[in-house]
Amino acid sequence: MSATGIGAAVRRKEDLRFITGKGKYTDDVVRPGETRAVFVRSPHAHAKINSIDVSAARKMPGVVDVLTGKDLATDKIGNLICGWMIHSKDGTPMKMAPHPALAADKVCHVGDAVAVVIAETQAQARDAAEKVKVDYQVMPAVVDPGKAKSGPQVHDVAPKNTIYEWSLGDAKAVDAAFVLAKHVTKLDIVNNRLVPNAIEPRVALAEYDAGTDQLTLWNTTQNPHVSRLVIAAFVGMAPEHKLRVIAPDVGGGFGSKIFIYPEEVVCLWAARKVGRPVKWTADRSESFVTDAHGRDHVTHAELALDASGKMLAMRVKTIANLGAYMSTFSSSVPTYLYATLLSGQYDIPQIYCEVDAVYTNTVPVDAYRGAGRPEATFVVERLVEVAARQMDIDPADLRKRNFIKRQ
Amino acid sequence: MPAVSMTVNGKAVTGDVEARTLLVQFLRENLRLTGTHVGCDTSQCGACVVHIDGIAAKSCTTLALQCEGAKVTTIEGLAEPNGPLHPMQEAFRENHGLQCGFCTPGMIMAALDIVRRRGNDLDEHTIREQLDGNICRCTGYHNIVKAIAAGAKAMAKGGARQAAE
Repeated sequence: MSATGIGAAVRRKEDLRFITGKGKYTDDVVRPGETRAVFVRSPHAHAKINSIDVSAARKMPGVVDVLTGKDLATDKIGNLICGWMIHSKDGTPMKMAPHPALAADKVCHVGDAVAVVIAETQAQARDAAEKVKVDYQVMPAVVDPGKAKSGPQVHDVAPKNTIYEWSLGDAKAVDAAFVLAKHVTKLDIVNNRLVPNAIEPRVALAEYDAGTDQLTLWNTTQNPHVSRLVIAAFVGMAPEHKLRVIAPDVGGGFGSKIFIYPEEVVCLWAARKVGRPVKWTADRSESFVTDAHGRDHVTHAELALDASGKMLAMRVKTIANLGAYMSTFSSSVPTYLYATLLSGQYDIPQIYCEVDAVYTNTVPVDAYRGAGRPEATFVVERLVEVAARQMDIDPADLRKRNFIKRQ
Repeated sequence: MPAVSMTVNGKAVTGDVEARTLLVQFLRENLRLTGTHVGCDTSQCGACVVHIDGIAAKSCTTLALQCEGAKVTTIEGLAEPNGPLHPMQEAFRENHGLQCGFCTPGMIMAALDIVRRRGNDLDEHTIREQLDGNICRCTGYHNIVKAIAAGAKAMAKGGARQAAE
């Protein structure tokens, strides 16, 4: 075994800077004349914004500017998007509600940003943010995905808070297989919502060069090229060749740093507006209510087996909670990244899966560490465990009987 | 604005701070020592661990003014400038004890404090218990524990430079 051939242990090249504290994470980057941004966020899950009074905040020491959703709309900055189209069973496209980077008419989840304070120091920005007066009219909210369809409507475009009703597989073939089953295992399971919590909180640092009309964004992103494309082409911040996105060292993401978030859009817009670099660094409490969450499925699943424990068919119905807005890849996670994996490593001739995605007044949900596949694995392996106990077959044996065989 | 004076990594430093300025902010923003990180706002994650007068402390829960006259050591102060790395740093590299690296400075500083209190022959259970104040979201801790055990042993083999006094 040579030092560099196949099988040789190769040391990572990046470790030296991390073990000596010389990494360059986004918050470590400092630009001349940098200002600090702090967002004003809704404490309510669902509320109309009657008015926002920034006059007191503007007078606070060190404040450069205070901007709201109205200002964003006036400057014609585009909305954030979900980039993956999913159609319902009836052929209609998913109901993607408008998602402005700063809410102007109403807030749809705790943490929804309504204004941003730009100041000389972080402390001054925080002090001024506390002086922004928002007049909210609190409305009833729905947070439970199981209750979403009968709850208060979050967005006008989505009656019954239903984003799409999607399916995969041949329902008739599955029904026919279930008729022949000697044993049917039924399961109701919840895959609970979780918060990704990479140890590095999200950061966006934007700078505008008026001489070249060039925007630069340093961002805790897992995919700077995707960010550049979305922010240029869909949000319309600048043509792509006038926007540079830099991902320096990133302290973990697990999916949560894939998406294009309001904060980087606002920092870019604000940097161009105030003519100075604008840096926003999340604190942990803020991360909990702004970083895309994971999972949040409610599922009813059934597995049909013959007398010897051979799997004949599976049918699954899942309600997927996508939260208050559709995040960048949210639609794909409980559909193509989920239903296609329900077979696990078993030879299951027929599978039918229905997925209803709903809006609720919660933090948006998107891909997290496995993105739909852990959700599918949980369903199939729980079915196997319960079926084995019900049929009094050793779970390992039941698995072996159903493994996909070499042709 | 009050002034504060302390020694950081062997150098005397002075700065103007507000009463509410945290030590971690003083280190990162005034002194440009960005190796010490902020990962939470509840003092739980440990990414901010430094040594104050030889003892591990969370710099996010310490005011800069509390360190008037103190000797502070950060991750940047462990290795000799242009010199070899501290054995605990080497151990993290040799044992793949890091992935994104964000929790790593805090882990290394906490590890040195474990050695100070529990010696150089650390078993897995002790390390896991003593790392209660440090969180990692990438590695699952397995290789961090291996690295600390290896680093502690290496420190005993002489030529070990303990956290600067």
